[in-house]
Amino acid sequence: MDAQLIEHMMNPKNYGPLEGADAQGIGKNPDNGEKVAVAIKVGKDEDEPYVDDIRFQAIGCTTTVVAGSMLTEEAKGLHFKGVYDLVDATMHFLDKLPPEDAACSEMVALAIKAAVDTYKKRQNESDYPVITYKVVYSCVPKEEKV
Amino acid sequence: MIKTHEAWLEMLMAGFMSKTKNKQVLFDFSDILFRHFTWLENELIELGESYSYDRDAVPIRVERLSDLLQAIIVRLNEIDLQLLSSPDKELAGRIASDIHYMVDVLSHMNDEMISAFNMERKFPGMALTQEATDALTLFLFEETYKEYELILIYNYLKAHSNDAYMNRIFQILIDESFFHLKRFGEMGAQMGILAVPRIVMKELYQVDDVVAFLKDGINEELAAKEECKKLSEAVGKDSPELAKFFDFINHQENYHIALMKDALKHFTGKDYE
Repeated sequence: MDAQLIEHMMNPKNYGPLEGADAQGIGKNPDNGEKVAVAIKVGKDEDEPYVDDIRFQAIGCTTTVVAGSMLTEEAKGLHFKGVYDLVDATMHFLDKLPPEDAACSEMVALAIKAAVDTYKKRQNESDYPVITYKVVYSCVPKEEKV
Repeated sequence: MIKTHEAWLEMLMAGFMSKTKNKQVLFDFSDILFRHFTWLENELIELGESYSYDRDAVPIRVERLSDLLQAIIVRLNEIDLQLLSSPDKELAGRIASDIHYMVDVLSHMNDEMISAFNMERKFPGMALTQEATDALTLFLFEETYKEYELILIYNYLKAHSNDAYMNRIFQILIDESFFHLKRFGEMGAQMGILAVPRIVMKELYQVDDVVAFLKDGINEELAAKEECKKLSEAVGKDSPELAKFFDFINHQENYHIALMKDALKHFTGKDYE
């Protein structure tokens, strides 16, 4: 367990509600009720929208919180294309992770994607409901290596 | 109520950090602030105002205790100011009196160097294997949050219930979770990985289905027993004392399970299998 990981556990970045958010998105694990809610504020850079601020909250384990801390930090400041690239890169990386860790990271990535997708939908329909995406990986309880 | 919530946690964290006789004073003050929190919550309920347990992040990473005490004093003074506009003047007066005393005591408290954030992940006088240390680290993060979450859930249920039988059960569960939170928080501080539990999402404590919550809770307690058993086995060779502690926590979960089974029977009229 390296120091950077412990730092994310002790002090998760971007955790908590975001006042005045432009859109929210949810990533959910239907098997165990765990979920991640992401909220974003969107800025405009020469008419191209970008993630100006981002926060997340989780009903889940420490791994989910660490993944949320890392991925939201990566997403902050990115244009939407960059956010989709980040989500794609995360999804491609999931096969290399243990299933329980994959489900946690997938849940965060999907919540970020859902927030951006909700924002885009709301450009045409202001009261479009918050989008929820469900994970495909199964979260198997981790066997302690002790 | 938000600032009182933050002050309660800040004071509790200061108690975890302290290694001197300050510790008990800080724990006692944090208990008083938690009771203020419940008084203020009750006032909001009586006024019919909506509220939540949302709060801001509570920064606690300091090198000296006095730095955190100063931050707590600032927060207490802000609460004192807010109390001026409280509709229940008697309650506001009682809380203000406590706050003035606490500010005075904190202002004169002896300073201490803080090692609760050094990330060394070592217990004084104890050598655990790397795997046992990692397992213990993860356990402390998970369970510290879990106990805080449970305190808020049981407290919210109790605040919104007039059922004396259930409220006795909720209060015991709150007390039990406080005991566990304090022990795990102290262990986190000793290992240099102390952290404020993250904010609890509304849907967790604003419980729609109490029966489902209690059933899930029993399963979670059974899982927690297993975690304690594994940890006890993992640290047993290096520290019989720590192993005994986790066995003790494991057996304590039996109280929680018994209480939740009682609560389920009260709700459903049937024994829980």
